[in-house]
Amino acid sequence: MARYLDLYGLFLVQRFKILMEYRVNFLIGASSTIILQVSSLLTIWVVMSQIPSLNGWSYYEVLLIYGLITLAKSINHMFADNLWTIGRQYIRTGSFDRFLVRPINPLFHLLADRFCHDGIGNFLVGSVLVITATRQLNIPWSLNNVLYLVLMVLSGGLIFIALNLITGTTAFWIMDAVPIMRVVFDFHLFAQYPLSIYPRAVGILLTWLIPYGLASFYPASYLTDRSLGWVAWGAPFVAIILLILAYQVWKFGLKYYAGTGS
Amino acid sequence: MIQAIRRRTNIYGAMAGIVPKTFLAYSLWVWVSLFLNTITMTILVFFWKAVYADTGTIAGLDLQTTLTYILLAQIFLPLGDLSMIFEFGYSLREGGIAHALLRPVDFQGGFYVQYMTQTLTSLFLQIPMALVAWLVFGLRFPTDLQLWAVFILSAILGRTILFFFDWMLACLTFYTTEVWGLGVLVYGASLFFSGSLVPLAMLPGWLQTFALATPFAQALYVPLSLLTGITPLSQAPMVLLIQVILLITLGVLSRLFFRVAVRKVTVQGG
Repeated sequence: MARYLDLYGLFLVQRFKILMEYRVNFLIGASSTIILQVSSLLTIWVVMSQIPSLNGWSYYEVLLIYGLITLAKSINHMFADNLWTIGRQYIRTGSFDRFLVRPINPLFHLLADRFCHDGIGNFLVGSVLVITATRQLNIPWSLNNVLYLVLMVLSGGLIFIALNLITGTTAFWIMDAVPIMRVVFDFHLFAQYPLSIYPRAVGILLTWLIPYGLASFYPASYLTDRSLGWVAWGAPFVAIILLILAYQVWKFGLKYYAGTGS
Repeated sequence: MIQAIRRRTNIYGAMAGIVPKTFLAYSLWVWVSLFLNTITMTILVFFWKAVYADTGTIAGLDLQTTLTYILLAQIFLPLGDLSMIFEFGYSLREGGIAHALLRPVDFQGGFYVQYMTQTLTSLFLQIPMALVAWLVFGLRFPTDLQLWAVFILSAILGRTILFFFDWMLACLTFYTTEVWGLGVLVYGASLFFSGSLVPLAMLPGWLQTFALATPFAQALYVPLSLLTGITPLSQAPMVLLIQVILLITLGVLSRLFFRVAVRKVTVQGG
């Protein structure tokens, strides 16, 4: 474990050296996602400033939900974005071979190969939203709440990574897995708003099958004193189960890898 | 003279013909896009229904008008698509721009033909979306032919305005060599200011004035507001006149901008 952490540090240093070669590009990339988020936030602001609540959720409560899902997404964006490119960049070109001949886990190598700086913008936006919303909603920054938030955000991030790993692994068979990945990934858009505004089936889907709701709606419900029982604590358990499942799928897919180029 | 026109039409026709083929080459993406757009549509419909649960109108718009606008905005989304930044960026990276500049065809004209064909193809591929909106979400299409005629005219003008603006932004890649970040940045701005997420009539006065002045709004919101009746038909002549003025101004500026920026072209590969 310690060896892998050291190695990740080395990969990260190298990545930042590359990024710093083009500083303007780095800044545009890191801030681009902020603009993207600002567009959605402006929409929420414009609408919420004209109505008292959205299905019983106030403006800042909606922002809390939005902030939590953005933070969880940013973890996936920064540390596991390379899953999106496995087919196009590594399998199609045959460069995935190099991961297989080195004495480290190929999945770790794939993820560590590229820290995605675009995710920094998402992380900043999510942090600002969660901090602002919790302050405005008078949610105390007690040790319990802070630990709960950190646990939920990390678990949410792992749920994103696990789902992307499962769908991304299909690249071993179909080469370009991006369309499949997008189909599942885009369901997280539902979880930007209170799940209670959708039909019951969507709520069940976002809780049990593609559980992005566990990263945003349920933690926000818990923090705003809406009693939901144990589901509010479900994210870490689901994240672990999904990660184990995703890794098994990855190992299964790896057996079918065949380089296509050189 | 006639021969020259025929020759030019043949060239631009061939360039336009390539576009639908590139779409058909990625049929999986076409179906996935349909699915993703349906997700977006579903979210927007339930979001707006929840918004209107406690209120009758917002900025003078009732739920039915807002839903009609939002669903039509999703169907006509290709009117607000931007592609020039990535076109220029990748052709710089792969060296294709060197060949394109050498061709005995007007560089901008060629891209414009492809831009408009791409829009038409994308709109054609949105027909299943329109069916979903109609059958699943109960979209009522406007039936007044006059509205459709004004809409089509405004959409062509708006799309051309956006092309010239997109063109100028794409010229920035000659200086920055950055593509992805710049593309996402502009896409983010277009998402809001085009009115694809919220009718611009709901914006506070100062923001609405600014948004309406952007080419993003001219391409999507302005034509759609005419079609849905948010902007009365009596105001159509003024709206179209503003679009013509913007089109001429940005058209001239885009030519000048390119003439200066092209001196900075540095091909990275190919």
